[in-house]
Amino acid sequence: MSAPSNMRVFVPCDALSIALGADEVADRLVAEAASRSLDVTVVRNGSHGLFWLEPMVEVEVDGVRHAYGPIDADDVPELLDAGLLEAGPHRTSLGPTHSIPELERQTRLTFARVGVIDPRSLDDYLAHGGFDGLRRALTMAPGDVVGEIETSGLRGRGGAAFPTGIKWRTVLGAPATPKYVVANADEGDSGTFADRMVMEGDPFCLIEAMAIAAHAVGASHGVIYCRSEYPHAIATLEYCIDVAPQHGWLGSGIAGSGLDFDIEVRVGAGAYICGEETSMLESIEGKRGMVRPKPPLPALEGLYGKPTVVNNIITLASVPWILANGGAAYSAHGVGRSSGTLPVQLAGNIRRGGLVEVPFGITVRELIEGYGGGTASGRPARAVQIGGPLGAYFHDGQLDTVLDYEAIAAAGGLLGHGGVVVFDDTIDMAAQARFAMEFCAAESCGKCTPCRIGSTRGVELIDKIVIGERRSADVAQLEELCDVLEHGSLCALGGLTPYPVRSAMQHFPEDFGLGDRNSDQNFEQKVGESN
Amino acid sequence: MIRDRTLSKRRQPERPSLPADQASIVSAVLAANQLDPTRLLVVLQQVQHELGFVPNDAVGQIAVGLGLSRAEVHGVISFYHDIRTEPAGRHVLKVCQAESCQATGGRALTQHIQDVVGCELGDTSADGAITLEAVYCLGLCAASPAVMIDERPIARVTVARIDRVVESARSAS
Amino acid sequence: MWSELRALRDGVDLGTPPRDGEPVTLSVDGVPVTVAAGSSVLLAAGIAGCTVPKLCATDTLEPFGSCRVCLVEIEGRRGYPASCTTPVDDGMQVRTNSEMLTKLRRGVIELYLSDFPEGDIDGGWSQLNDTLDQVGVHRLADDHPYRSGANHQSGVLDLSNPYFLFDQAKCIVCSRCVRACEEIQGTFALTIGGRGFGSTVVAGQDESFLDSDCVSCGACVQACPSDALIEKSLFPGGYERADSRQA
Repeated sequence: MSAPSNMRVFVPCDALSIALGADEVADRLVAEAASRSLDVTVVRNGSHGLFWLEPMVEVEVDGVRHAYGPIDADDVPELLDAGLLEAGPHRTSLGPTHSIPELERQTRLTFARVGVIDPRSLDDYLAHGGFDGLRRALTMAPGDVVGEIETSGLRGRGGAAFPTGIKWRTVLGAPATPKYVVANADEGDSGTFADRMVMEGDPFCLIEAMAIAAHAVGASHGVIYCRSEYPHAIATLEYCIDVAPQHGWLGSGIAGSGLDFDIEVRVGAGAYICGEETSMLESIEGKRGMVRPKPPLPALEGLYGKPTVVNNIITLASVPWILANGGAAYSAHGVGRSSGTLPVQLAGNIRRGGLVEVPFGITVRELIEGYGGGTASGRPARAVQIGGPLGAYFHDGQLDTVLDYEAIAAAGGLLGHGGVVVFDDTIDMAAQARFAMEFCAAESCGKCTPCRIGSTRGVELIDKIVIGERRSADVAQLEELCDVLEHGSLCALGGLTPYPVRSAMQHFPEDFGLGDRNSDQNFEQKVGESN
Repeated sequence: MIRDRTLSKRRQPERPSLPADQASIVSAVLAANQLDPTRLLVVLQQVQHELGFVPNDAVGQIAVGLGLSRAEVHGVISFYHDIRTEPAGRHVLKVCQAESCQATGGRALTQHIQDVVGCELGDTSADGAITLEAVYCLGLCAASPAVMIDERPIARVTVARIDRVVESARSAS
Repeated sequence: MWSELRALRDGVDLGTPPRDGEPVTLSVDGVPVTVAAGSSVLLAAGIAGCTVPKLCATDTLEPFGSCRVCLVEIEGRRGYPASCTTPVDDGMQVRTNSEMLTKLRRGVIELYLSDFPEGDIDGGWSQLNDTLDQVGVHRLADDHPYRSGANHQSGVLDLSNPYFLFDQAKCIVCSRCVRACEEIQGTFALTIGGRGFGSTVVAGQDESFLDSDCVSCGACVQACPSDALIEKSLFPGGYERADSRQA
């Protein structure tokens, strides 16, 4: 049998795959292939998001991808000996990639290409349906493109869940020019990495989405504001916005149409608050990232005071699929007012951490047990924080809550950007509540009083509650402070910090020295009337 | 209030200026950004990339170059934690302090790192090898805990692993 | 419009600058009031004769929305918007007092008091004192859990300028001085340094007022609601910092 020729072997270039050793695996594969005179091309793809299997190596045989993982660089020689290039059996064999159970069960619309293609290859993007959405959009009137988004029921995936179509319609209707499209890639929530995976795994999708938005609202300039903690994403984006104009996908007369649109990448500088849209606009304008009051809405007076679409990366990444397949096809997924799919990110103490794109309507339990396989430590899961550092903590009795915007809100939480962080029974929930206040204090812009002073007082109060000298007075004061933060803050940072604090205190009172919620009938009184 | 003529005409205090080589780098950065005040943060990031930090004595030059006041430039520098006004150690080790890493032993890991490096988060080790920084999420949460040394991410960090990282950072130049 | 309002306001600070626009009619606490489109709810409330407490708002500066004591309720809207940054709408029904508003304003004032020299409240004559009177809170109870928290009571006392001084212990970080320096004088000598709890008013690059680009116009002193910036002439015997809050 002759050696196979021109084989493609895939090793992800995603930052987490690299953090787990993917670069070393890729280097070793190239070196081993050279020393064995094998005709192999190592393609650096994005990650499928099955991070317990990273670094994952795939080989394409007769058009089917076969996966192996996790692979250590030192495994490479034996992997080749085992016949990697013929998809031969090895202890790390996972079979055909598409039939890995955790991948097969997903509904990948937004993440259809992530993990599959070489993110820097425009050809690969085009071969996998890339720019189909933009091509169709360019044949439509701007108002009809917005109409397609409205039909899809797409809501902002950054956390606020505002209907994207309404936002675009407002910008379209604004008379002032120029208009801007700003992609919010300041993904600061702990436990979230979906934006990063899109930027590192399918960056042209973001470019396509922003061009569609530009056509839909009449914008001429776009900005991607990416946090500095994502150097790999920044490098990939900069490469792609350099390549796209050379092939007519950005710049003047995009795809032969009359659309002129360019994109610039701006990098954050270590400020969580700049993920808040008005603070982000200030930062793009070169200023301190101080939150602006609303109104005026950024849709009417945004970047440099001009009409601006500000959308999260996942919101935007959903747009090309919607334009290519129709808004109705998108809204066929999901439940109620939560239409389409949600890329959930499983994180923290979890056995199978990663990205799971599923239609709205799945339960928390199905996610963390079915997909996640329970805790990594093997101990019982005690708490789950949903929706990032401003999201509520859920206890084990709430795991059958359905994941959609309304159901999570009804359970006293918020879905945020879809991050799910699991904690086992060694976690001290008073420490977590303290951290929520500490985080607010560390990241507050300092403009409004509740957040500027209140977050520091919150840390102090929780410390006092734990010490317990005047516990009931301190708990009552914390309750009042949470009211002031929730209802008095200028933006969601101060406004939502009470969610993790109150939920921790209400569901885990024993950690605050407030008795046990199962045995102490009076704990509700002790923790006040939270929620 | 009565305006005092002698005060308004007073000589501005002498401010130290940057060494010539640094000043020319700052000038080049300003020129590359078309003297555009809305690019202040970009200018600061690029100056830091070139010099390793933004010297206090560069603020006047940046302000004049962008048509801003020194106070405005200072306000922006002091807002963003990434912008440093003192040089860092030879390597910067960012240690994630956020929830996903807390769920996987991040607090104990942070303590261990501080012990091994010999300084607190926010400080530089005595030998100037490593600056420790707190970071709130590196987006590597599916394999926590995580750190990043310079721009190299490391996930599922163990004590043994971090000891090797610190050791090689100390011995490397 | 300006002169009409000047006449109307009778020396009262309406909180935000008047606007020039089509007339808009709304009701504040049941009182109908007509103001120019683009005006703030805070201004409309003032003209209607309803006192809404405020700290960061003054009618010589653009609205800012930071202090959160001018919160109101608006029929049909969720939450408690700041009246200074909320523009009026035709038919809007505004409520400036309710149990919740009182609770929120007291809560905000308690936060201010937790970082303010207690000895300067009694006998004080600043706008902050007016606001404390309106909200009805003047000091933290002796056993208040906010006492003994982190504070700025040993912050900068800058006596460098010949005419005025800056006492950081009395600064409530409302940015009125910074905004006055920008909007009224155009000097841009001041900024907020740092962020969050660490935010402080600073001159230049965190230097003394005298070393900064300050031209001693006095706009910041005029704008300061808490007498953190104050004329030296008021203290002929020299300025002494008041006792800070008792721990």
